[in-house]
Amino acid sequence: MKRHDIYTLPILIWLSLFFTIPLSITVIMSFMSSTPYGGVTLPFTVGNYVEIMKGRILAILWRTIRISALSTLITLGLSLPVSFFMATSKWKNLLLMATIIPFWTNFIIRIFAWIFLLGNNGMLNNILIQLGIVKNPITFLYNSWAVVVVIVYTYLPYMILPIYSAMEKFDFSMIDAAMDLGATKIRAIFKVMFPSIKGGITAGILFVFIPALGSYAIPELVGGRDSVMLGNLIAWEITTARNWPYATALSNILFVSTALALFLYLKIQGSDGK
Amino acid sequence: MTVIVLIFLYAPIMFLVIFSFNSSVTGANWMGFTLKWYGELFLRSPDIWEGFKNSLIVAVFSSLTATFIGTMAAIGIHWYKPSFRRYINFNIYAPLIIPDILMGVSMLMLFVSMRIRLSLFTIYLAHTTFSLSYVVLVVLARLENFDSSLLEAAMDLGASEFQTVRRVIIPMALPGIIASFLLSFTLSIDDFIITFFVAGPGSTTLPLRIFSMIRFGLSPVVNALSTILVGGAILLTLLGRKFLKYILAGEG
Amino acid sequence: MDKDGAVYSVELENVTKIFDESTVAMKNVSLKVKKGEFFSILGPSGCGKTTTLRIIGGFETPNEGTVRIDGRRVNNLPPNRRPVNMVFQNYALFPHLSVFENIAFPLRLKKMTESEIREKVEYMVELVKLKGQERKFPRQLSGGQKQRVALARALVNEPRVLLLDEPLSSLDAKLRQYMLMELDRIHDEVGITFIYVTHDQAEAMSVSDEIAVMNNGVIEQVGTPPEIYESPANTFVAGFIGETNFFVGKVVDVSSEYLKVETRFGILTCYKDKEAKIGDTVEFMIRPEKVYVTKNYPPQNMNFLRGKVDQLIYLGSHTKYYIMVENTLIRSIKQHTRYWMDESTISWDDEVYVWWNPDDSYLIKVTGG
Ligand SMILES: Nc1ncnc2c1ncn2[C@@H]1O[C@H](COP(=O)(O)OP(=O)(O)OP(=O)(O)O)[C@@H](O)[C@H]1O
Ligand SMILES: [Mg+2]
Repeated sequence: MKRHDIYTLPILIWLSLFFTIPLSITVIMSFMSSTPYGGVTLPFTVGNYVEIMKGRILAILWRTIRISALSTLITLGLSLPVSFFMATSKWKNLLLMATIIPFWTNFIIRIFAWIFLLGNNGMLNNILIQLGIVKNPITFLYNSWAVVVVIVYTYLPYMILPIYSAMEKFDFSMIDAAMDLGATKIRAIFKVMFPSIKGGITAGILFVFIPALGSYAIPELVGGRDSVMLGNLIAWEITTARNWPYATALSNILFVSTALALFLYLKIQGSDGK
Repeated sequence: MTVIVLIFLYAPIMFLVIFSFNSSVTGANWMGFTLKWYGELFLRSPDIWEGFKNSLIVAVFSSLTATFIGTMAAIGIHWYKPSFRRYINFNIYAPLIIPDILMGVSMLMLFVSMRIRLSLFTIYLAHTTFSLSYVVLVVLARLENFDSSLLEAAMDLGASEFQTVRRVIIPMALPGIIASFLLSFTLSIDDFIITFFVAGPGSTTLPLRIFSMIRFGLSPVVNALSTILVGGAILLTLLGRKFLKYILAGEG
Repeated sequence: MDKDGAVYSVELENVTKIFDESTVAMKNVSLKVKKGEFFSILGPSGCGKTTTLRIIGGFETPNEGTVRIDGRRVNNLPPNRRPVNMVFQNYALFPHLSVFENIAFPLRLKKMTESEIREKVEYMVELVKLKGQERKFPRQLSGGQKQRVALARALVNEPRVLLLDEPLSSLDAKLRQYMLMELDRIHDEVGITFIYVTHDQAEAMSVSDEIAVMNNGVIEQVGTPPEIYESPANTFVAGFIGETNFFVGKVVDVSSEYLKVETRFGILTCYKDKEAKIGDTVEFMIRPEKVYVTKNYPPQNMNFLRGKVDQLIYLGSHTKYYIMVENTLIRSIKQHTRYWMDESTISWDDEVYVWWNPDDSYLIKVTGG
């Protein structure tokens, strides 16, 4: 230890105690068995994982990945043109604030807005019934599509902000230069701009995909039977079944999936960078 | 395109706000202007206020703690090449990239295995933990502009290490420190999933309270509450405008 | 002389600084800087100048050797307790403080009264000619102004020694010249020791009382500017300070004052600055301003060569000639005086005589043969 380590000592202790150790406990616990009273017991076993693999978990895991990936793609597709417009706009600061406000509005409230809008007693159904278009409310929500839309809605700013930041630093005269050299505008944008905003795109994808993988509240509130995600399963095991070993084993599967996704993504990203 | 996205972002919130002034009980059917849901919210919703108070307590203390510890860490990382650098980096970056739910579960596992009773205190511990990474990155982004010659100049001119921190480093880093405090505060107020796992009976925060309310269906009181929270977000955005670039720098 | 009786302001004794296995920034460096001197450390990039300065300032600790300030060993004293102050290469002004507060910074640390602080800062502002700029912030200042603030801030503490690390390197040529004169004036006014680091020989020559030439972590020579220019200790110093023409050869004859040396240009005569005997290998040099280029046959007893004008650069006050002799360029500089105008003009590709007085050459090195 050096004298100046005093600056980093508090964070070292804090994050060891409340991040590294808890993660380790989670791993250890997933190899133990539960007791009938909601406790845990030895010996170590891989039983939880075997149990999980036998069940419907694979289908849920696959669905979790599918929903997250789809939401991420849609978010990216919306964010690229929007960020481009923002970065080149005269009103960039105003537009930036306009994306920040929903970002800083409570997460649960943003979900609630959709329930209010599209729920069975929601605004749209009310209007449709009053206009006599339908007699009984249509179930817009409580399916995978609703989950995707709300994920896109809640995480959109997380994608726009990093891409916008990267584009804002980009020197747009380079596009003119490329067009001057004979590239079409689209080509110029792709060839010249893409490499310099790649970092922003990576950050955006990770900021959306990873929280989406761990979604709980969104599928819980606007999803249905067909859109149970890994997060819901974990929460159920913890709050209702109180089976720690089983829940932690599920968490570790989520952890490994995330790490794998991250690894794959960085690898793909790294290889086409050359 | 941008307009469509902006409508997509704002329309749902706008309707929430508009219908908070609707006198119909079922919520989504316009029956005329009223302020009664605000009356309801302010005068007859002790649960919401209890949650709000809890959220505020946790947010204040956790963001103060995180800002303090995180700023110190950023100073150490930027200027003093700390030992265990890789381990520290892992601890700073990993919480940012693992799903929140994992952090919630693992914190809960820590508390149950240490037999720590779930309470506002455990929420405080969890919130400080996830805020720390953001604080370090935001303050580091600010410190990036300053090289070690400034510290050496201070020392050269007779400042002790403590005086250097107090009279040079802190004032220079101040915009980043304020930005990181604002960010931690917002993250804490906003957090649902981690709190969901580490909250105990009697320590319900505002997002948890809203969650359980909307699980039982629509309520105009929630619309009224939403309006106030959206107002808060707008206020915060305007207030935090000056510090935005540091927040973005730390996140990007 | 001071009460403590020390003659030297700063002394380094066999100081060695090793950063890692491969970088030895200072090798056995010894220096003695007299009180009140304007002392320069001159050398190419990466030679260890900054390191030497940082060792004196206390920002680095030597691996070996002793550092003394005013006769007192300071090896273990941290920077904030050494009576020296530094002007940093990038100025290192505190961005959050105004010009006034930057200069007042060290005084506030000493908890001086407000009126004392005002008085001292005002004196400094006056000294470095910054009147009217006190309320500005560093980002609102020009390079030259920042320089002045840094100087005032370092001087306000009344240090015994002021350390300056290439303080003019980020200024443009004209301003650099002006600030150099300002530094000289301020040095005269405050009367303390200045240790000035630069890689620009003209800068060092024009203001220094003494110069230490450094190369690869080693001090090659310490001396006054004329000493260093006229009698360089070795080829490195000779080559680094100004342009020069080098000759190598074997001594074929020795007289009381001169050597006859067999070179690849034939036999040349050079002044015997050092003892040498027949058969020794010697290296000598002649500065370009002492070399003449004419079409006419040179006077008696001069060294002369024949060659062709390869390049000719007119520079207003003087002209540089590069004459190709036996595949080697010989440099000559001619000041434009009235007499020069009278001579027949010399132009590209002319056949010319290149000649100099043997008394003007300098014998750098003798290797026994
Ligand atoms: N903190 C350090 N760690 C490792 N090596 C260093 C450090 N500081 C300097 N060096 C090395 O020591 C040598 C001398 O560096 P120094 O900065 O003293 O050179 P300098 O003469 O000031 O050069 P310049 O004119 O470019 O400023 C260089 O090889 C440099 O790379
Ligand atoms: Mg240097």
